[in-house]
Amino acid sequence: MTLVELEKQVTRLEDIQEIENLQKIYGYYFDLGMYQEVMDLFSENVESVEITDHGVFRGKDAVSRMYGGMVGMQRPGWMFFEIMQSQGVVDIAPDGKTATGRWYTPAFECRPFGGVKKQTWEFGVYDNVYVKENGRWYFKKLHWNLIYWTSYESGFLKVPKLSDTPFPHADAPATAYHPYPSGYHVPYPFKHPVTGK
Amino acid sequence: MNLEDLEKQVRLQEDIQEIENLQKIYGYYFDNNMWAEIIDLFSENAESVEIADHGLFKGKQGVRRIYWDMFAGGGNRQSPPWMQFVVMQIGGVVNVGSDGKTATGRWQTWLFEAKPYGALPRQEFLHGYYENKYVKENGKWLFTKLYWNNTFCSPVEQGWLNLPEMGWMPLPDADQPPTAFHPYPYHRGNVPYHFKHPITGK
Repeated sequence: MTLVELEKQVTRLEDIQEIENLQKIYGYYFDLGMYQEVMDLFSENVESVEITDHGVFRGKDAVSRMYGGMVGMQRPGWMFFEIMQSQGVVDIAPDGKTATGRWYTPAFECRPFGGVKKQTWEFGVYDNVYVKENGRWYFKKLHWNLIYWTSYESGFLKVPKLSDTPFPHADAPATAYHPYPSGYHVPYPFKHPVTGK
Repeated sequence: MNLEDLEKQVRLQEDIQEIENLQKIYGYYFDNNMWAEIIDLFSENAESVEIADHGLFKGKQGVRRIYWDMFAGGGNRQSPPWMQFVVMQIGGVVNVGSDGKTATGRWQTWLFEAKPYGALPRQEFLHGYYENKYVKENGKWLFTKLYWNNTFCSPVEQGWLNLPEMGWMPLPDADQPPTAFHPYPYHRGNVPYHFKHPITGK
């Protein structure tokens, strides 16, 4: 192997590591409601942000329209979102400039629901696209698809989702919102690692 | 790039990989009450161990006191099979120092526990955050500081909203009381991030 080839392989491993950190750090900032820090993780050339059934936010100001309203918002201590960024599969494109990542997210939550504090379980899948600009990885597209959002006490079999939460100022309705028990799976960005299909 | 720089970069990737394994293997040993194996994951020059509200245990002696004297009951404790501590090591962000000899790591954990409480077996969900420090000695990564703070420890039947912390468990022979034990709903920000923002650097 030549030095140039070896450099390429090392860069690829560093890229995967950096993207995994980007995704996990997104989660840690989200837990603490650090939305300005969340917004700074996105490329200026962001394509879209889509979270559960809130709808699709497109273009350069998608990020600020999605998260910007929550910057500096004070939350009581009992209101929380612990989102666990789990089981990432990250693939770097051959040109080394874009990447895809699929992640699972179990989550503990507590938020007001019809004036009452409610503890809930959430579970979903990320299907994200990342881009490398000026030597750093950013989010280019974030899509989190909900599988269930249920009350702690009931469970997903009885109550797969607690309510609808579309945002009125979205650019388009959700593209792939089919919670449990639809059987829907967000398409995988990756090929079969053995057969390549 | 010359070969020396490239070697350095490869070593960094290897270091991160090795530390991630160290942390996950700690979890697997913990699941299985393998306390002697856990003690061997710590440096002889370990700084401290602090877990939930058990208190701060200093030095390698402190490591032995918490895992062996307390958790293992001096090697005499036999746990019934229904007792379990499944600790999932999730979301590791590991940063290696520029000298390649120390590192820090943040993780979060989701636990499925069953243990006696009063006289009754109880099942619990727990959540918490690690901010740990690692050190490379003789070519191997070891724990030098382990800090796990508990977000909640709740009976499965009730959840964190109704019973965030089902009991206090300070250990009598800790060197100091816990440094920042404030469970849900006062948990926010008790375990500061060691890392800088990856884009802004702040």
